[in-house]
Amino acid sequence: MPTRDLSIAMVGSGGDGIVTMGDMVAQAAAKDGLNVIKVEAYGPQIRGGESSCVVRLSPDPIFAQGDDLDVIAIFNWADFGRFKGELAPKKDVVILFEAADPNPSSPADLGLDERARFIPVPFAKLATELAGTKAAKNILSLSVLAELFNLPHGSIRKAVEYKFGKKKAELLAVNLRAFDGGAEFARSLNVDVSDKKLTYEATEPKLLMAGNEACAVGALHAGCKFFAGYPITPSSEVLHFLSEWLPRVGGSVVQTEDELSAYGAVIGASFAGVKSMTSTSGPGLSLMTEMLGLSSMAEIPSVIWNVQRGGPSTGLPTKSEQADLWQAVFGSHGDAPRVVLAPGDVEDCFHTTVEAFNIAEEFQLPVIVLSDQAVAQRRETVPLDHLKHEVVDRIKPADDPNEKYLRYKDTPDGVSPMSVPGMRHTVYQTNGLEHNEHGDPASMHLTHEKMSKKRFRKMGPLAEKYNFFRHYGPKQADVGILCWGSSKGPVEEVVRAAAARGEKVSAFVPQMIHPFPEKQLKAYLATIKELLIVEISFQGQFYRYLRSFMDLPEEHLHLFKRSGGKNLAIAEVEEEVRKVFEKMRTREEVMA
Amino acid sequence: MTSSVETPVFQPGDYKTDLKPVWCAGCGDFGVVTALYRAMAQLQIKPWDSVVVSGIGCSSRLPGYVATYGFNSVHGRALTMATGIKASRPELTVVAVGGDGDGLAIGGNHFLHTARRNLDILYILMDNEIYGLTKGQAAPTTPAGDKTKSTYYGNPEPAFDPCELAISFGATWVARAFSGDLKTTVDLMVKGLSHHGFGFLNIMSPCVTWRGDDQFKTLKAKTRAIPESHDKTSRFAAMAYTRETDVLSTGVLYEVQQPSLIDRLTHLQELALKKGPAPTTQEIFKNFFPPF
Repeated sequence: MPTRDLSIAMVGSGGDGIVTMGDMVAQAAAKDGLNVIKVEAYGPQIRGGESSCVVRLSPDPIFAQGDDLDVIAIFNWADFGRFKGELAPKKDVVILFEAADPNPSSPADLGLDERARFIPVPFAKLATELAGTKAAKNILSLSVLAELFNLPHGSIRKAVEYKFGKKKAELLAVNLRAFDGGAEFARSLNVDVSDKKLTYEATEPKLLMAGNEACAVGALHAGCKFFAGYPITPSSEVLHFLSEWLPRVGGSVVQTEDELSAYGAVIGASFAGVKSMTSTSGPGLSLMTEMLGLSSMAEIPSVIWNVQRGGPSTGLPTKSEQADLWQAVFGSHGDAPRVVLAPGDVEDCFHTTVEAFNIAEEFQLPVIVLSDQAVAQRRETVPLDHLKHEVVDRIKPADDPNEKYLRYKDTPDGVSPMSVPGMRHTVYQTNGLEHNEHGDPASMHLTHEKMSKKRFRKMGPLAEKYNFFRHYGPKQADVGILCWGSSKGPVEEVVRAAAARGEKVSAFVPQMIHPFPEKQLKAYLATIKELLIVEISFQGQFYRYLRSFMDLPEEHLHLFKRSGGKNLAIAEVEEEVRKVFEKMRTREEVMA
Repeated sequence: MTSSVETPVFQPGDYKTDLKPVWCAGCGDFGVVTALYRAMAQLQIKPWDSVVVSGIGCSSRLPGYVATYGFNSVHGRALTMATGIKASRPELTVVAVGGDGDGLAIGGNHFLHTARRNLDILYILMDNEIYGLTKGQAAPTTPAGDKTKSTYYGNPEPAFDPCELAISFGATWVARAFSGDLKTTVDLMVKGLSHHGFGFLNIMSPCVTWRGDDQFKTLKAKTRAIPESHDKTSRFAAMAYTRETDVLSTGVLYEVQQPSLIDRLTHLQELALKKGPAPTTQEIFKNFFPPF
């Protein structure tokens, strides 16, 4: 039986062209209208070092990376060993490996059984024979994979032509020789992998983008005209993308000397009336915390795109975690209102970014979009018609010579119209110091209390208007899963798989993290019997954050938390759900 | 920099707000703010088309006393705000102000890079060789050996010269003034505000409270005008007027014309325009379909 859902991993060293291979497979699949999710993992080395890429392909909707691998192509077993515990083969996996690098372990060592198939392929030797260089082995291996597993062969060949067509004619010729020779070699193999052949009908091409790119386009869509940032993994792609595209819409990018100056420049531009944002990762967010207080105190709209990586300190720069939550929600000296959003997938990266601008502009405060490496750097196909979002602009006062303008007027909803330089009759001075309604520094307790109330009053109407969350699965369920960020993908898969088995599992995934859609969560809790919280944080930051403002049904609560460095797998969530059902049964038996 | 001869005609008093300065009687910063009112009036800068931005410190209170848009931000970060304001709204006149601790210690890195970028603003540093607001600790310009609140046995660190730094960082206009010499200070502010690129004006602005009466008297006695014959385009010649001990040379030390950050950012927009007119969101998304 061929399959409708195939996950392929490619593993090698930095110079093996693993990333190129993954890109070509993903793009070719998108071209043929397949759904694709592609993730990469690599060591922190600049060049060389281990590198892996996992592409999951299906004609049906998919929501998480493929972490149960059907096929693995290995150029180097030592590199494969460096991903121990991160790349999980299915028991019946097909492993293609470099024939010149014999397998150091037995199938049992790899946790595999007799259904697993090991196919030695002389990648380097064949590439040298066909193309005159072993560097072509990645292109050669593409056609071996395409031929054996029915990947979109024609489109992959087009991808090769596109990649090398722009270069010297000879380079294209040798790579095509390697590609076609690889297919021929694969046809000569006497192996049965029919259960791993992908079956699909080609449809209209889909767009394929990474979360960081979706964020950058979201910023442009929202009307962002100024970006300042400092390079940091894994969020630099936003800086890269906008350095090309912001000037095209009449905007500017400044690469600053550090993250706090980036955020300072963003606040400056926003003060000047221009929508602006910065992007960073945990270490940068630490520096930006100083400016977050300023944006909150001076009520200047600002947007931070933060891609979480493993921490604390330099941590795991290339790998995902969900442990910047407390820093985002609570970080700052003083009482500093802010908003925190979190995307669950690539499409969400677009929506949460536009939403962040809308909220920042409407309520004049800092908004952090707390994405994570697993969603920001993965590439996935997104339906174009989903990528629409309304844009909100800030309220300006009337430029009236007869009105005394109070920049920080204490209004019923806490929002005071914000003038911008150039407006003649609404000139004001703003302040990181506590200030009165006019904006003048004031350190009286009464003023501080009154202005704190004003700043926090905004959170009420904000929470009413913006309570972005998603619900998956049946209206009433035995097990309800509560998670956030990239955990959404595996959780959504589990909810669907459970439904297929006839189990009632649902999920509540907030995109609005702070202020939390508390009413909506309470309503959700009434629809489930057991609550399972899933998060990638050693301390369980999400669970403990929830506990900071609401009670949870502790006697029916199950918490799955662990540190990052490995993306949440579908199997992990499956296992936790299974355990919850088991506990329920045990409890029922005891009751009986 | 914006200037205008249109009516209304602005008098120095038009740039003054109702807010009473928090400065001590006799503070050098009064001279600085008075000079700024006069310089702005001389150039007929529209208050609503300009922004004065500062960090934190005694001198950083200055934006509150000027009737332009103002931003009294956080310690050391004035130039980061100024970067965003100017880069996003190049038509605005932007002046950054602050003290020596604010600009040279905590904000030193921003000073370096804002000068390097040649951001089109005037940065006025009010240098009193001490932390005033926090009540008298040694600053990067406090002479070695000086006893302050934080240097009980005398300052163990040498001072540096802000003008020397500015020149080496890439500022394209560098001048020094003494706030007790109003005429020269106004004159230099007018020149600095008219300069295209990053202008740096270091104003010796005595602190009567923490540096005593002597500082004012000593500065007054030491002040000399830089001679007319000085070659302002020469980095080498300019450096001769830095690290002075016995005299204080006031005037323009260094002045060259270089493309500013705004020139360069505008150029990038022109290059981008060659790729086609501003795309819509849907057009941008089309770039994410497979290109083959």
